[in-house]
Amino acid sequence: MLTAVKNQMRVCLLSIKYNVMREMVNKVTFLTNVGFMVLNNASFLVQWMILFRLRGEVGGYTFREIMLLWGLVAASFGLSHILFARVFSLPDLIINGKLDAYLVQPKNVLVGVITSSTDVSAIGDFLYGIAIAAICGPGVGGFILFLLFTVTGAVVFTAFALLLGSLSFWFVRMDMLQNQMVMGIVSFGTYPDGIFKGVSRFLLYFIIPVGMAVWYPVHVIVRFDAEMFFTVAGYAALLSAMSVAVFYRGLRRYASGNLMVARM
Amino acid sequence: MQAIQVENLSKTFRVKRKEKGMRGSVKAIFHPQTEEIRAVNGVSFSVPEGEILAFIGPNGAGKSTTIKMLTGILYPDGGRVEVLGVDPTKQRRQLAYQIGTVFGQKEQLWTHLTPHDNFRFFGAIYDLTERETEVRIDELSERFALKDFIDIPVRNLSLGQRIRCEMVVALIHKPKVLFLDEPTIGLDPVVKENVRELVKQMNREEHTTIFLTSHDVGDIEKLCRRIIIVNDGRIVMDDSVEHLKSHYPHKQAADIVEQDRGNEAAGSGDISDASLEDIIVEIYKSQGEE
Repeated sequence: MLTAVKNQMRVCLLSIKYNVMREMVNKVTFLTNVGFMVLNNASFLVQWMILFRLRGEVGGYTFREIMLLWGLVAASFGLSHILFARVFSLPDLIINGKLDAYLVQPKNVLVGVITSSTDVSAIGDFLYGIAIAAICGPGVGGFILFLLFTVTGAVVFTAFALLLGSLSFWFVRMDMLQNQMVMGIVSFGTYPDGIFKGVSRFLLYFIIPVGMAVWYPVHVIVRFDAEMFFTVAGYAALLSAMSVAVFYRGLRRYASGNLMVARM
Repeated sequence: MQAIQVENLSKTFRVKRKEKGMRGSVKAIFHPQTEEIRAVNGVSFSVPEGEILAFIGPNGAGKSTTIKMLTGILYPDGGRVEVLGVDPTKQRRQLAYQIGTVFGQKEQLWTHLTPHDNFRFFGAIYDLTERETEVRIDELSERFALKDFIDIPVRNLSLGQRIRCEMVVALIHKPKVLFLDEPTIGLDPVVKENVRELVKQMNREEHTTIFLTSHDVGDIEKLCRRIIIVNDGRIVMDDSVEHLKSHYPHKQAADIVEQDRGNEAAGSGDISDASLEDIIVEIYKSQGEE
């Protein structure tokens, strides 16, 4: 069992290494992608700086807390796109029969698929998020919590994308829904939860998991709350288990295909 | 001992039907229509260890679907499959250590990496140590003559060079059964001949069982002793290539030969003059008429 895990890890690390090698073939593009993503994220902060000059707080959040929201969303999104980028194109793999190569390998199909690609611009997101936390985080404890929630956030991003992407085994064009829902976490997660009321608040906690990926964690970083902490960890584990179960259930319906495919 | 045993294997796909044009698209939203297509319909056969079997049929006959069920890619709807005593649906990973696959239309190689880096990656996938992988790479690159391009990124290789690399990937872990799905598609005659020779060599030296699907009669004639022909999801013929060539009873095969020669006395030709391709075409046609 331990050897199997070790061997799987060896393949995952090689896969990530080769993905980064691919992206680094063109050094200029690589550095430009990373750099512009940092700049792109930073540009949004200017809007908030202007807003906080006019008001002391927005939706119960101070400027530093808004920075933590941005940092956590960027770092979690970045980490999930560095390690598991392929999960975000899972509908394409399912619909166009591109899972064959992974199914004939003696390794976990799901892990093999989702680690088979890296989004290089996500390195910029991740670095930006970590930098924001280093600047705005409340001390060493807060920074450690931030790193921990970056991992749970990445797990929520990945599991949510996996859950929606796996629905492609049953329905076509799930790519649009998957993309919109995942980007929903990014869009809504960068605003304070206090401004959402009623149905929208319910949706953002229970349908699109913004609450568990971003808002609860930031509350815990600002003021530690053990119940919230374990709720986030439990939710990430539960969502992962559910999405993995749906993927394997759907895999039985996989129909492959005869399109010409090259591994790029 | 049997390397592959298949009993009453079936697979049905549900496909959508849509009337033409925008109107059809709108109608399909409110009244979706689906149709069941039985790709494989109660297929049974077995393949002894060390055999090279041709599994052929016209497009859409169910060849690729069968091969995908044998390799664990697709779940069958019914029937039983055992490859090397392992059920692909229940022990896919265990089976994967013992089989190799080459899908002529689907590349497994990472195109931005060199063949050498690719082989190292696939060595890790099959749990070979770095030393074991390097030894195997040396052995196979010698056999497949890869030395000249083993350090050039795959995207810069010719199709023939890529296929040879695909075969090395499929063989890196010394599989007992090799599944080849149209391995020579798109290759020039010289490279085809080269690939066939290598497959024969693998079978001879490592006693690898080969399960081949191909539309190229040359592949079948030069590699296989036994041939299974499928059509419409069913096996329509299971015979030795030699027996098929010398005893195929259908008179029309001889007619075709005569017609090809422009002989007016069609039908008087000797059956032994019919090529394997003529016979296969005739079988496909006669099945299509039924």
